[in-house]
Amino acid sequence: MSAPSGVIAGGWEYVVAAYAITAVILLGYAASLIARYRAERRRAARQGAAEVHS
Amino acid sequence: MTEETVPAPSRGPLPFVLGGLGLALLVAGSYIGLFRAPAEQHMGDVQRIMYVHVPTAWNAMLAFTFAFACALAVLWKGSWRWDCRLEAGIEVGVVLAALLCVQGAIWARPTWGVWWDWDPRLTTTAVMLFAFIGILALRRFVDDPARRATWSAVATVIAYADVPLVYFSVRWWNSLHQMQSTPETVSSPFHLPLRMNAFGVLFLMCGMIALRARVSALRLREEVAPPPAAVARAAAPGRP
Amino acid sequence: MTLVTALRKDALLQWRTRARFLAVLAFGAVTLLLFSFAAGPDAASLRRHAPGFLWLALMLSSTLALAETFQAELEQRAIEGLLLLPASPRALFYGKAVANAAQLALLGLALVPLAVVLYDAPVPRPAALAGVIVLGAAGLSAPGTLYAAMSSQARARQALLPLLLFPLVVPVLLSAVKATALLTTGDPMGQLRSWLMLLASFDAVYWSLCGLFFGRVVEE
Repeated sequence: MSAPSGVIAGGWEYVVAAYAITAVILLGYAASLIARYRAERRRAARQGAAEVHS
Repeated sequence: MTEETVPAPSRGPLPFVLGGLGLALLVAGSYIGLFRAPAEQHMGDVQRIMYVHVPTAWNAMLAFTFAFACALAVLWKGSWRWDCRLEAGIEVGVVLAALLCVQGAIWARPTWGVWWDWDPRLTTTAVMLFAFIGILALRRFVDDPARRATWSAVATVIAYADVPLVYFSVRWWNSLHQMQSTPETVSSPFHLPLRMNAFGVLFLMCGMIALRARVSALRLREEVAPPPAAVARAAAPGRP
Repeated sequence: MTLVTALRKDALLQWRTRARFLAVLAFGAVTLLLFSFAAGPDAASLRRHAPGFLWLALMLSSTLALAETFQAELEQRAIEGLLLLPASPRALFYGKAVANAAQLALLGLALVPLAVVLYDAPVPRPAALAGVIVLGAAGLSAPGTLYAAMSSQARARQALLPLLLFPLVVPVLLSAVKATALLTTGDPMGQLRSWLMLLASFDAVYWSLCGLFFGRVVEE
């Protein structure tokens, strides 16, 4: 495990993997947030309507 | 908790605007980092991982710091709004810290030949990740909302106070190994994509925290405060 | 009710539940035995890992000991009565935490001879080792007592306590293992002092923080 002496050649597969995982995790979490937010809004609206009409 | 009711969350477009702005900055910064910036003289192309890794690291720490501030506010003021922000900050921080650990492993493999190098920063992140996952679990398993708010605020303060202790203990523990320097002090052609991505992740994170806090507030309203219609009905029981 | 009274109550409780202490001790002993199977019969490797195994066994047993620590107070909601007394919750906390630290230290000291036999680990400075064990037990007991107060009133308490406690006490584990290893195998670089300082500062931070917050945790 010595410090790298010369230039590390290549390694693009690691770069691609890092960016891909970053994109998947960030976009996936954002999508899940939006889905949860919409579900909660719908539930709140439905409940409000039910309370008014009952 | 001193507040009786949970205030309704805003309906404004701010989280989406922030998130969209952050995403746009991230895409542009990553494009420059991947295809425009020159390869670094020692690390070669692997260095490009740093353009997402370092911004994630800064913002993960920022999210946990935000959660710590929210925890103090919960303990101080006892308001539901801060409890919602606390939950949002912890969850977004956990997502960023998990991402950070994965990126760190991918970075360590080509540079040091191992997936995990017990670097103090990365190891501290991993320990904090599990500490805050524990707090999310605590929130999940406590049913009384007021108790949940106080307990998770206390646990957040306690976990956050651990950060320097974990960092120094791991650093000393690993000090017999040669200290690897992570090239963070990079020269000027590398600054632009790093800065763009740092602000990109920052805006995205703020948008996510704001949206997640709204989700918490909507859930909490159902738990704590009966909807206004139900209150009105209870006040006038004879009404159809 | 002063700290002394609270401490007397918890010492009495510990004494009356000594059968449970023996069960936890037996659990720790079994763990030590299992570690030797996992690390293989190579004597040199076992000796090198002895400090780590000792502290892991103590940490795993500590969750068993701590999880039950509020059992008596929660039965018939006795804790609500305790909180109505003109006593600060802080006294309640420190009584409980001191009793737990004593119990964990006893547990650690009882596991040492077993580790010596199983792993053939030398103990050239028994008094210093006892000091490290007391400091480490104190580090486990302060946050452990506070988290036990939370987890014993939550669902999924068996999983919750170690999940909250283990990441937090990483500095305790690291510094206690290092200090124990330096005591058993020698300390050519004079590092023992800094590890003990780290352990002591963890204790200082968490004994004050947890005492400060205990009142908020048990309030209704």
